[in-house]
Amino acid sequence: MSKNILLVLLYIIVLLALGCDNVYYDEHLKMEVQQLDSDLENRWSTTGVVVSSITPNGPAEKANLVEGELISYVIGEYPIQNANGFNKAVKKAMENDNNMLLYLKDKEPIRIATRKMGDKVGLEVENVDTVRIKTIMSGTPAANTGIIQVGDIVEKIVDERKIQGLDDYKKSVNEFAELNATLTFRTTELIGVKIAAVTALGNLGDVRAVDALIDILKNTRELALRKAAARSIERLVALSELNPLFQQFQEQDLNQLTANTLDSEQLASAEILGLLLVDAKANTATLEAPFGIQFRHRSEALHQKVNEGRLVELAQQYIQKVYEPEQEIRRACLSIIANLKPVSAIDPLVQVLRDEDEIPGIRFQAGLGLSRIGTSAIDALIAAFNEADSTAQDIAASALGNIGGTQTRDFLINALETTSNPATQLTLVDAIAKIGDEPSLSALERQRLRFQGDNSAIRIFLDEVFSSLTTSSE
Amino acid sequence: MKRYLINIFLSLGIVFLIVGCGNQNEHLAKGKELIKSDKRRKEERAVREFKLAIQQESNNAEAHYLLGFYDSQEFYEANLPEWNQASIAQRGQHMFKAYQNKSREYLEILVFDTLRDDDVNVQNAALEALTLVYQQGDRKQLLNQLEKAIKSKDNRDRHDAHWVMSNIGKSDPTTMVPILVDLLEHNQMGTRLNAVKALGEIGSEKAIPVLAALIESGSAKREGDREVAEVRQMAVAALGKIGGKAVPELVKITQNKGSSLRVDAIRALSSLGDEKAVQPLLDALKEKSSREIVVNLGN
Repeated sequence: MSKNILLVLLYIIVLLALGCDNVYYDEHLKMEVQQLDSDLENRWSTTGVVVSSITPNGPAEKANLVEGELISYVIGEYPIQNANGFNKAVKKAMENDNNMLLYLKDKEPIRIATRKMGDKVGLEVENVDTVRIKTIMSGTPAANTGIIQVGDIVEKIVDERKIQGLDDYKKSVNEFAELNATLTFRTTELIGVKIAAVTALGNLGDVRAVDALIDILKNTRELALRKAAARSIERLVALSELNPLFQQFQEQDLNQLTANTLDSEQLASAEILGLLLVDAKANTATLEAPFGIQFRHRSEALHQKVNEGRLVELAQQYIQKVYEPEQEIRRACLSIIANLKPVSAIDPLVQVLRDEDEIPGIRFQAGLGLSRIGTSAIDALIAAFNEADSTAQDIAASALGNIGGTQTRDFLINALETTSNPATQLTLVDAIAKIGDEPSLSALERQRLRFQGDNSAIRIFLDEVFSSLTTSSE
Repeated sequence: MKRYLINIFLSLGIVFLIVGCGNQNEHLAKGKELIKSDKRRKEERAVREFKLAIQQESNNAEAHYLLGFYDSQEFYEANLPEWNQASIAQRGQHMFKAYQNKSREYLEILVFDTLRDDDVNVQNAALEALTLVYQQGDRKQLLNQLEKAIKSKDNRDRHDAHWVMSNIGKSDPTTMVPILVDLLEHNQMGTRLNAVKALGEIGSEKAIPVLAALIESGSAKREGDREVAEVRQMAVAALGKIGGKAVPELVKITQNKGSSLRVDAIRALSSLGDEKAVQPLLDALKEKSSREIVVNLGN
C-alpha cells in the first residue's frame, strides 16, 4: 500500500520535473520566464527568454515589466568603490564573454574586449579618494583603445550579457544580485510579428482593425510597420467600398448570385481582391470560401466605420509631403481618398497636384483622385490649369477630360484653341477626345484642318485619334 | 518411363516457347520500336499500334500501360470518341489494367517511375490508376509501396508518395491519417516533412492534436525532443490548410511570445479569414517595443 503511494509520489515528482523544464521562476524578480523556441535565433536572430507570468507587487511588476516581453540582454552595473572592487568587477564582467563597458568620468563609455578568456585587460587602479587609473600596460586591449589615460576616474563597469536561454538568464541574474549590481533588462520586439499582424488585419476586413491601424500609422516610429499599416488601411477601404455588392448577397443570404444583375465594376474589383469568382459562361458570381463568405457578414460594419470621417481626415493629412516623408504611405493615402471621394479632399489634393517638388507619379495620382470626386472638383482643376506649371496643366487637363460635362468641354476646347505649347496641346486633344461628343469632335476636326500638311506630333496624334474613333464606331 | 515423360515435358516447353515468341504481339513490338525511333509524330503512331495490340490481346499488361502512358488528347480533334478515350481518367484505366494483369511489376513502376514523369498528364493518369488500385486492387500492397516511397532516400519519391497519399486520403481519411501520423516518428526529416504536408492537404481535423504537439516541441528543453524548424513550419501551414477547428491552435501559436512560428501562424490565420483571429492579432499590436528596463531588486 505505502509502496504504491511512494510510486505515485515519485511519478508526480518526475512529471513536475519534466513539466518545469522550459520555465524558471525567478525568486529575485518574482516572475516566471520561459525558454524560447529553438529556432528564434536562426529565423529572427533573436535569443533570450520570455516573461511568462509576473507575481503582483514583486520587483518585476514594480519595474513595469510586461508579460510576453522578450529579454535578450541582462545588463549589470558594478559601482566601483575601491581598487579591490574594480578588480573583482573586471574579472566578473570579462569571464562571460571577454567583453565589458568601462565608464570613466567625463568620457564616453569605452568597450574593452579581450581575444580569449583570461587575457589581461591591462589596467591597474589605485584608491585616491576615488578610484583612479594607475597604469595602462602597453599592448593590452586597454592601451589599444587610445582613450584611457592615467589618472582617469573610474565610475562604473557595465557587463552586458547576451541571453541564450534559461541557464544564461539564471546565472546572470543570480550573479548580479549577489554582487549588488544594478540590473537592467534589454528587451527585443519582434517587429516581423507586428508587420504580419498588421497585414493579416488588412486581409481579414474586420471593423475592429481600423482604429488600431490608424494608431500605428500615426504613432509608430518603425517605418516598415507604418508602411504595412498604410497598405492594410488602403485594402480595408477598398473592401468597404464593395459593401453595396456584398449587401446583395447578405440580403438574399446566398453565396452565389446571377452575375449580370450585379454592378460589373464592383464585381471586377471584388474579383481582384480575391473575394469572389465570376463565371461569365454560367453567369454566376460566387463568393470564395472561406474569406468571401465570411466577409459578407462583416461588410456593413466595416463600411460604416470607414465612412465615419476619421479615415478621410487622416488620409488628407498624410498625402502632404511636409507631413509624410514616405512616398509609399502618401500613395496609399491618395488611393484611400480616390476610393472615398470626399469633397473635403479637393483642396489638399489640388495642393499635391500643384506641388512642383512632389514626384510626378504622385501628382498624377492626386489628379486621378480629383477626377473621381467629379463635378465639384472642376473649378479647382481649371484654376490649377490656368495658374500652375506645365505638369499640373497636363494632369488637370486629363482629369477634366475624365470628368467630362459641357462646362469642362468648352473650357478644354477654348484652351486648345489658344495654347501654343505643343505638349499641352497633346494632352488637351486627348482629354477632349475622351469626352468625345459632337462639339468635341468638331473642335478636333478644326484643329486637324489647322495643322494639315504639318509634320508635327499634334497632327500625327490627331490622325490617330480620328482613325481610332472611326474604327470604334464601326 | 521417367525419361520419356521428361522428354515430353521438355518438348512441350519448347513448343510453348516458340508459340509464345511468335505470338509476341507484333503491334506492341512495333509501337515500342516507334517510341525509340526519332520518327515524326512517333508517339501518336505508337499509340495506334498499342491500341491494335490490345485489340489483339486484351490482357496485355505492357500494351495497356504504354497506351495509358503515351495517349494524349492532343492527337485528336476535340469531342471525337478517340479524344474522349484519351482523357486522364481513361489513361488511368489503362494503367490500372496493366496493374490488374501484372500487379507487382506495375505497382512498382507506377509508384517509382510513372509518377516521376515530367508530363503532368502522365502523373495525373498514374494517380488515377493508383486510386483505382486503392479502391479495387490490393490496398495493403499499395500502402506498402507508398510507405516505401515516402521513406525513400530520394526526395522525388517522397514528394510523389505524399501527393498520392494526400489525394487518396481526401476520400478516405480514416485509413490514411493514422498512417501519416505514424510516419511523423520516422527518423528521416524529409519523410516527416512530406507526411505533415499530406496531413495538411487532406485537411482532416483528426490531425490537429499531433500537429499541435509537433509544433510545441520546438521549446522542449532536450534537443532530442525538438522537431526541426522546417517540419514545424510546415505543420503550421498544414493547420492553416485544415482550418476550422485548427483556428484556436493557430491563435495559441500567435499568442506564444517565445515561438518562432508566430509569423507563420498569423499568415495562416490571415488566409483563413476567421473572425476569431482578429482579437489576438490586435493584442499582438499592443506588445511593447524594444526597450531597456532598470530593475530595483530592493536589496
